[in-house]
Amino acid sequence: MNGPIRRLAIGLFLAFSALLLSVTWLQVIRADDLKNDTRNPRPALLARGKERGVIITADGTVVARSVQEENSRDFRREYPEGPAFAHLVGYSSFLVGESGLEAAYSPQLRTRRDVTISDIIAAFFGADLSPKNLELTVDARIQRAASDALAEFTGAVVVLDVETGAVLASYSNPSFDPEALVGDDATGNWEELGADPTRPLNDRATRELYAPGSTFKVVVAAAAMDTGVAGPATMFADPREFQLPGSSATISNFDGRVCGDGNAVQLRRAFVRSCNTIFADLAIQVGAANIGLTAEGLGWNRRIDFPWSLPEAAFRTEELANDAAALGQSGIGERDVRATPLHMAMVAAAVANDGVAVTPYLVQRVFDADGVTVEEAEPTPIGRAMASETAAQLRELMTQVVIEGTGRRAAVPGIQVAGKTGTATGARGFSNAWFIGFAPAEAPRIAFAVLVEGNELTGEDATGGTLAAPIAARIVEAWRETNN
Amino acid sequence: MTRKAELASIVTASALASFGVTLVNFARDAGIDVQVGVTFLVFVIAFGGLSLAAQRWAPKATPLLLPLVVAITGLGFMTVYSLSATRAGLQRWWILIGAAMAGVVLWLLAGRGTSLLRRYRNLLLLVSVGLLLLPNLPTGWGFPLRGLEQGGSRLWVTLDVGFISIGFQPAELAKLGLVIFFAGYLADHQRALREAHRRIGPFRFPEPRQLVPLLVAWGASVVILIWQRDLGASILLFAGFVLLLYAATGTSGYLATGGLLTLVAGFAAYFAFDHVQRRVIAWLSPFEHYADEGYQIAQGVFALATGSLAGSGPGLGRPDLIPNASTDFIFAAVGEELGFAGSVVVIALYALFVSVGLGIAFRSRDTFRKLLAAGLTLTFGVQVFLIVGGVLRIVPLTGITLPFMSYGGSALVGNLILAALLLRISHEEAP
Repeated sequence: MNGPIRRLAIGLFLAFSALLLSVTWLQVIRADDLKNDTRNPRPALLARGKERGVIITADGTVVARSVQEENSRDFRREYPEGPAFAHLVGYSSFLVGESGLEAAYSPQLRTRRDVTISDIIAAFFGADLSPKNLELTVDARIQRAASDALAEFTGAVVVLDVETGAVLASYSNPSFDPEALVGDDATGNWEELGADPTRPLNDRATRELYAPGSTFKVVVAAAAMDTGVAGPATMFADPREFQLPGSSATISNFDGRVCGDGNAVQLRRAFVRSCNTIFADLAIQVGAANIGLTAEGLGWNRRIDFPWSLPEAAFRTEELANDAAALGQSGIGERDVRATPLHMAMVAAAVANDGVAVTPYLVQRVFDADGVTVEEAEPTPIGRAMASETAAQLRELMTQVVIEGTGRRAAVPGIQVAGKTGTATGARGFSNAWFIGFAPAEAPRIAFAVLVEGNELTGEDATGGTLAAPIAARIVEAWRETNN
Repeated sequence: MTRKAELASIVTASALASFGVTLVNFARDAGIDVQVGVTFLVFVIAFGGLSLAAQRWAPKATPLLLPLVVAITGLGFMTVYSLSATRAGLQRWWILIGAAMAGVVLWLLAGRGTSLLRRYRNLLLLVSVGLLLLPNLPTGWGFPLRGLEQGGSRLWVTLDVGFISIGFQPAELAKLGLVIFFAGYLADHQRALREAHRRIGPFRFPEPRQLVPLLVAWGASVVILIWQRDLGASILLFAGFVLLLYAATGTSGYLATGGLLTLVAGFAAYFAFDHVQRRVIAWLSPFEHYADEGYQIAQGVFALATGSLAGSGPGLGRPDLIPNASTDFIFAAVGEELGFAGSVVVIALYALFVSVGLGIAFRSRDTFRKLLAAGLTLTFGVQVFLIVGGVLRIVPLTGITLPFMSYGGSALVGNLILAALLLRISHEEAP
């Protein structure tokens, strides 16, 4: 009789082995996927009321902190700077999840004092279980200036340190109060914000793509100078309308007039006055491949390492290679050319940084409860995007834009600003206003991009020069304040 | 291992159970309170007492079984406590009552041993069928003993004794009685059953009249359970019956027939019962039916995955999000709070229990004791597989308890008596 019992025993142990395999499948192999399933409420519920690290700016302003509730062990998350940092810092909510740096740096910011077995073992071997803190590259004063300058306008401001790529400000308007999303009424507030037609939850500075308009002429000009197709003094024919090859469509200038005297005009003047006719012509002469090469050197058509996933700035080289008409339109930053304000600030920064493009970064360092640095940011250049001489010539051209061209309203007394305006097709027939640039022109320290979306408030004749350039001037002034 | 070592292991396991309670307390901002002490005392009194009872009435019994029982019960208790302190309080009473009943069983069998059970197997069959019928007593007939319907199944009886009413699932005890009857009947007719004369295909079967009493007894029980919609218990009883028949005769035709019948019955039940259909849907695609049928299984899977390697820690998970976490889904609750490590320990402890039980069956010289030990252990093992496999989505969920871990008095009492029977057999068969 032991024979059958033995066989049954083997059968039962095979069944138990199946249990072990299945438990390995669920708790080890598939654990992370299943744990992060959106229908699993546990991760958010478990983080509720737990302490998280402090987030401070480069100038020491606290932008996120955990405060212990009275008569409780629970913590409440506070965002003292409110809407000014809402898209950057984000929120950490047990009801609506996490966003921004709160999401990207959640593993560092969360406490490890969960009394799990692994925590106890780690603590025994001397691991620090307290939450880590973040120091940002952002200067709260410039960030607030961006918020004040945009005021009622819908848009975004990005300011970069030209040498390192450190983000000095990144603000998207309209914004929201992140504290409304961390309390018990978060779900209702979140739905309300989501339904708001002005879309305050969207980060227009880094996560939305726009047609860059004439600011893209900086890239086209850089490609032209790098390839030797044209220099600042090269002469171009100056028609009232530029006939796109192989197409009945034409391109005209913003005011509908010729760029120079109607016969011939220098590239210098075309840049300073932002003449579309000349740049459509130039783009076709330079060719899609060369413009694409310069754009890619500036970080376009590829992923850029950032705390969150950035959309890719797009210049569709291959599609434009055999379509001269489309290339002409792309040369003035229209058609399918797309970039975020952050990408456009990087373009200005590369020109200011002698032609070398830098990778933007937001977090200077991660430090522990004793202030000791755990992780430190290392500026990593993308590489040379244009020749040093090209960059120098562009700096000179961009300075002229502010002195005598379309960007005069970006001028700041006592400090030379350089830049390029842009007025691009926006939504519902309105035009978006752009201004990208850097300051001080002779020895650049900061680069910036300003975007103002066209809407009922801006009216129909909004341009980069009238709307965005004055905001840039206020940013430069705010930066000067921080330097004194 | 001696009795002294057994007692030491029991005290250690009890201390671990109360340490688990302490960890849950710390997670809830409470410190070492009366719960910790009471848990330790109840475990030591219940299982230490049972060990002493075994020392007196079954001195040669294996010392390996009780420490395993205490460890499994302790892990289950910690998890029940994490889910509900009130339920844990009641569970403590059931641990005491169950251990006392197990002690009584040892005492009853002290004189004539398990042969007493073999002798009264027909009486036990009657009692078992009677127990199975108890939940079908009318619900409101003024008598203190009443049947109760819950969740579409009729598995409960309540006994109102003055100020309290005690709920009980008689199937948990009837299961033991039926296994004893099967083992007894098979031991008595073993020779006749093994001389298989009838051929059906490649298999040989005995004369039908040899099987009739067995089939009637088993059929009646399964029919009652299906009538009460106790899916889990009927499958368990069927499996136990088929496995025991195979163990007694070595005729693999029984296994084949049993497997075939299970499939046929499964299909029939799928088309006949709504609740069986819902279970199959929940088993095959819990995430597609997350909002209704699949919710429980999906939550169980999320709980296990969130526990991942080391678990959330006792009292720090959210197993309360799983419906029926303290009964059917206690394995998922343990897996969430103690992680993969805890799940493996639990499965290993059950495997050890089954090894010890089958070891007793192997070493038994007497046919009845051999079949009884094998029958009890196999039923136990199949039950563990069905419910853990149900939580892990290997088989459809059958809604039976996880022995020694799930919250619930009847199951605890029944399984502690099962352990006492194994102890007694190992004593009688000790060299």
